Amino acid sequence: MKKCKLVGLIFLIISILVACSAENSTSEKKENDAAKSENELIYASAKDINDMNPHFYTGSMPAQGMVYESLVENTKDGIKPLLAESWEVSEDGKVYTFFLRKDVKFHDGEPFNAEAVKKNIEAVQNNAEKHAWIKLSTKIESVNVVDEHTVELVLSDAYYPTLVELSMTRPYVFLSPKDFKNGDTKDGVSGFNGTGPYILTEHKTDEFATFTANEDYWNVPPKIKKITSQVLPAGETTFLALQKGEVNFVFTDDRGADSLNVEAMNQLVDSGDYQLVRSEPMNTKMIVANSSKTDNPISETAVREAIWHSIDRETISKDIFNDTESVAHTLFSPNVNYADVDLKKRGYDVKKAKEILEKNGWKTENGEEVRTKDGKKLVMELFYDSNSSSQKTQAEFIQASLKEIGLQLEIIGEESTSIANRRSTGDYDLLFNQTWGLAYDPQSTIAAFTSEASYLHTTKGIDKAGELYKKIEQVMVSTDEQTRKSLYADILTIVHEEAIFIPITNGSVTVVAPKNLNGISFKQTQFELPFELMNFK
Amino acid sequence: MGSYIIRRILITVPLLLTISFLTFILINLSPLDPAEVVLQAQGVPEITEDLLKQTKEQLGMDKPFILQYFDWLYATLQLDFGDSYINSKPVWSLIGPAFLNTFKLTLVSSISIILISIILGVICALNEGKILDKSVRGFSFFLTAMPSYWLASIMIWYISVKLDLLPTSGMESYKSYILPVIIITISYAGIYFRNVRTSMLNNLHEDYVLYGRASGLSEWKITKHILRNSLQVAISIFGMSIPIILGSTVIIENVFAWPGLGTLSVKAILSRDFPIIQAYVLILAASFVLFNTISDIINAAMNPKLRNDL
Repeated sequence: MKKCKLVGLIFLIISILVACSAENSTSEKKENDAAKSENELIYASAKDINDMNPHFYTGSMPAQGMVYESLVENTKDGIKPLLAESWEVSEDGKVYTFFLRKDVKFHDGEPFNAEAVKKNIEAVQNNAEKHAWIKLSTKIESVNVVDEHTVELVLSDAYYPTLVELSMTRPYVFLSPKDFKNGDTKDGVSGFNGTGPYILTEHKTDEFATFTANEDYWNVPPKIKKITSQVLPAGETTFLALQKGEVNFVFTDDRGADSLNVEAMNQLVDSGDYQLVRSEPMNTKMIVANSSKTDNPISETAVREAIWHSIDRETISKDIFNDTESVAHTLFSPNVNYADVDLKKRGYDVKKAKEILEKNGWKTENGEEVRTKDGKKLVMELFYDSNSSSQKTQAEFIQASLKEIGLQLEIIGEESTSIANRRSTGDYDLLFNQTWGLAYDPQSTIAAFTSEASYLHTTKGIDKAGELYKKIEQVMVSTDEQTRKSLYADILTIVHEEAIFIPITNGSVTVVAPKNLNGISFKQTQFELPFELMNFK
Repeated sequence: MGSYIIRRILITVPLLLTISFLTFILINLSPLDPAEVVLQAQGVPEITEDLLKQTKEQLGMDKPFILQYFDWLYATLQLDFGDSYINSKPVWSLIGPAFLNTFKLTLVSSISIILISIILGVICALNEGKILDKSVRGFSFFLTAMPSYWLASIMIWYISVKLDLLPTSGMESYKSYILPVIIITISYAGIYFRNVRTSMLNNLHEDYVLYGRASGLSEWKITKHILRNSLQVAISIFGMSIPIILGSTVIIENVFAWPGLGTLSVKAILSRDFPIIQAYVLILAASFVLFNTISDIINAAMNPKLRNDL
């Protein structure tokens, strides 16, 4: 009898629970629908937005892009005004004078003026060691307030990418000086008030962050009134949440990792509720060859060329990336500034690869699988990011291809930090990497050719290394467009002929959005999206 | 009993110290320069020699190793685990809420596991060898063998998306608990109810049961006695289940986007945010030691013979 009571009680509890959930879920569904009609976007992000201090690098770039703005904007048609209405560059290229917009306020109501620009740029300069990658940080000598809305940037040398580097998502963007701690930002800030189209209104670490439209925005206030960044670490859950409508927007994250796989994306589009939009090529995924490793065959140009010829990019693009990434034949895709240079194409040609090796003394002896030259075997190592499933698959595919030409490739998966460490110490033969991306290229990737922390070991073993470095130095300070064009053409030709950057595919930004969302476009970087231009039909 | 408790607690001191030392050397086991790890975790695009030197000085990494350890231990004893490399917030302000979230999930799950295990264990033991017993055991074996990640995905798909009964993820209301708790319960109750069942069966064949029956006690009363005796064995298992669940919610938390310790630790591990990893390992290890001690004390309280073992 008592057993029956117990069972009865359990049933009662379960039914109450189910009843409650059923009742609440209808109201929740209504809320979801309401959210959609209210023009709300909820995007899934694998990571929290983190510290939104715009002068640091830990915050989420898409989120920082919504809240903060720079003086100028990098667009497809070149540099355009943003917080600066116009600017003048002195004859010697060392003084930049910016005329600021007069109608701009920070989210906390503070006026945006020359004083605020000075304080922000000085705050960045006060932490200059952290910004070594952005060469402008080493060139800024002083920031002077000319009048309330005019500010002057004085450089030590002429530096042509100044405007491009000022247009980047960070660090040269503006935070209300009221948020500074002890007049600085390097020890943290007390708030996140920018001048951008969206205001960060709520943030629960590792759960969500809400951004609401800035109705006092100096430009047209955004049509989408609320954007939420929802933390969803697992791609499978993201897919289910998209199906249910709990989130309705997703895009490739700033490391280029897709939380949704291609099949899931297609399924969402097939459901009729979503559309898929892809940007033009933004970066190049490549294999970097260490030309300075003299004890390894990789230091030979011919070997690198043979590797280039043995990689079937078509198959990688089609079978590994399901056509989401296009085939790359050069370090930069032709839509990158200064990169439309005529370089000889090295197609997939195993026969040619074998001939090159044969001609350069790499022979197969006694029916052995691996070629040798002067008693040395054609063996090398390729490092890939163990967290990237596509890199692993590519590495295995390339390993098999190289075996065909008599090259034994060992593939080793490691943490991305450890790979970055190998790159800076030169402890590698081959490793996967990617270019910085449209807004940053070619200058950032090329500047990295001479940097110990990046590609110095990759480039310093080639015959023309000295010439290459000289040209890089020249191009950065050149003030003449034609000279720059020809210098870049020379630089790109040298690294192409030496085959030290073996391009594989061009990556782009992918967006999955509600079918009725209009105005989806892209910026010149793979790290952020112009949410302010979107609207619902 | 008092002296047993004191002795038992004293033993944990060297154990916790060893754990703290091992936790601390974690960061030094990494083949990379710790200062470089810090800067990489902060997403600094290019790391220069000057920056490395400056960071080392800032973090006190230029001091001798043993001094660094004592500094760290001293701070840790005051629950100051340092600042996160990623967002410069104090670790406790990140670990605290995450721990609480995981603890809530663990607590509800543990209660559910204990209840279900006892109910199933008793039902199976009383029906030993019958179809009910066999089918419950078979079914539970089947469920426990399924990867929890997969099971969770299936359940979210069916219950949240298809039937639209519960949210797919997050930690909004009591409804958010239902699916994760069910998955965790399935994973553990399937194991624990066997312990209850075995222990019940052992007791069923004891003399006191025979005596009770002979004296004409009701079956219900006899079952209650058996249950009480069987649970003694189960207590230590249940006691340890709490830290085990606390440490193994990583997958469940990731699938359900639960803002707890698991999610936090995965994020910290991927970005090498060592202060958080250290605090996480330390908290988990300490909770293992704590729950182990508590279950030992409870067992010793129930069984005086155990008190002399120490």
